[in-house]
Amino acid sequence: MPTFYYILLSFVLFFIGTAGVLLRRNAIIVLMSIELQLNAANLAFLAFSRSLGDVKGQTFAFFVIALAAAEAAVGLAILVGLYRTRQTVNLDEVATMKR
Amino acid sequence: MNVVQAQAIGLPEKIIFAILAGATVAGALYTITRRNPVTAVVSLVGTFLALAGIYATLSAHFLTILQVMVYAGAIMVLFIFVVMILNREEISPVSFHGFPRRVVGVGAGIYLLVVVWDTVWRLRGVQVLRGPLGEPPADFGTVATVGMSLFKEFVFPFEAISLLLLVAVVGGLIVSRSHKQEEQAEATARRGKEIRSQVRVETRVGAIGTDTHADESHTAHH
Repeated sequence: MPTFYYILLSFVLFFIGTAGVLLRRNAIIVLMSIELQLNAANLAFLAFSRSLGDVKGQTFAFFVIALAAAEAAVGLAILVGLYRTRQTVNLDEVATMKR
Repeated sequence: MNVVQAQAIGLPEKIIFAILAGATVAGALYTITRRNPVTAVVSLVGTFLALAGIYATLSAHFLTILQVMVYAGAIMVLFIFVVMILNREEISPVSFHGFPRRVVGVGAGIYLLVVVWDTVWRLRGVQVLRGPLGEPPADFGTVATVGMSLFKEFVFPFEAISLLLLVAVVGGLIVSRSHKQEEQAEATARRGKEIRSQVRVETRVGAIGTDTHADESHTAHH
């Protein structure tokens, strides 16, 4: 398939991820939408890597996966801590940093 | 020339791409519309598996395996755990509480997407991106090739990533522990410190004499 279709797919995934981040109120689902956005970026990296025949794009995708793992670990830990103090993961109720 | 090449894309390839891309988009849409977080996590795993298939069509073998093992495996298991701990269904998935703020946020999001779409749309005229991909080198995207790039050109970023993961592990533990656990841990640390300083004072006192006692209790505070 031409690279352009991979880029289009990447854009659609990024769009869906952004919509999830902006519209959903459940913090877990917002984190999942961020994972979707990261995967869209990964897909663009790999598509361009393949198109240019340069393996560096794949190395970058590797770094993105490692970053996503760190981000998920810390983000989910924050959610657990948040739930302990506020008994909610609804982002509307935790918009302020007050206790 | 390009038209002839564009026709050379085989039908099976097109069908496979269509199936995988459709599964990816459908899974992503299903993920962000589900009310139950468990369903959302499972459909996200499906999305990532379909994406792994897409990576395979780009002959990124190493990244395909990583996607399945790290993303669909490790990270999603983490999500499942947290969903199980906090299993709470939303009462209203999309709320309009704080309407002005929401409008500004969605407006900014739409602007971002318009800019990205503009960039993507400009790419449609680039011939290189419209033609078929052709045959990659035999070792393109294998563990050996990516590993060479990783350890030759990106050694320092690679080490930085390992440090980052360590920090993330420690940070995750510290952020997620409860106040009770925190107090217990601090009490244990304090007790250990006291015992150690006492032991040190006693040995000093036994070896030299009582005149170092004041000096030792001073340093124990640090």
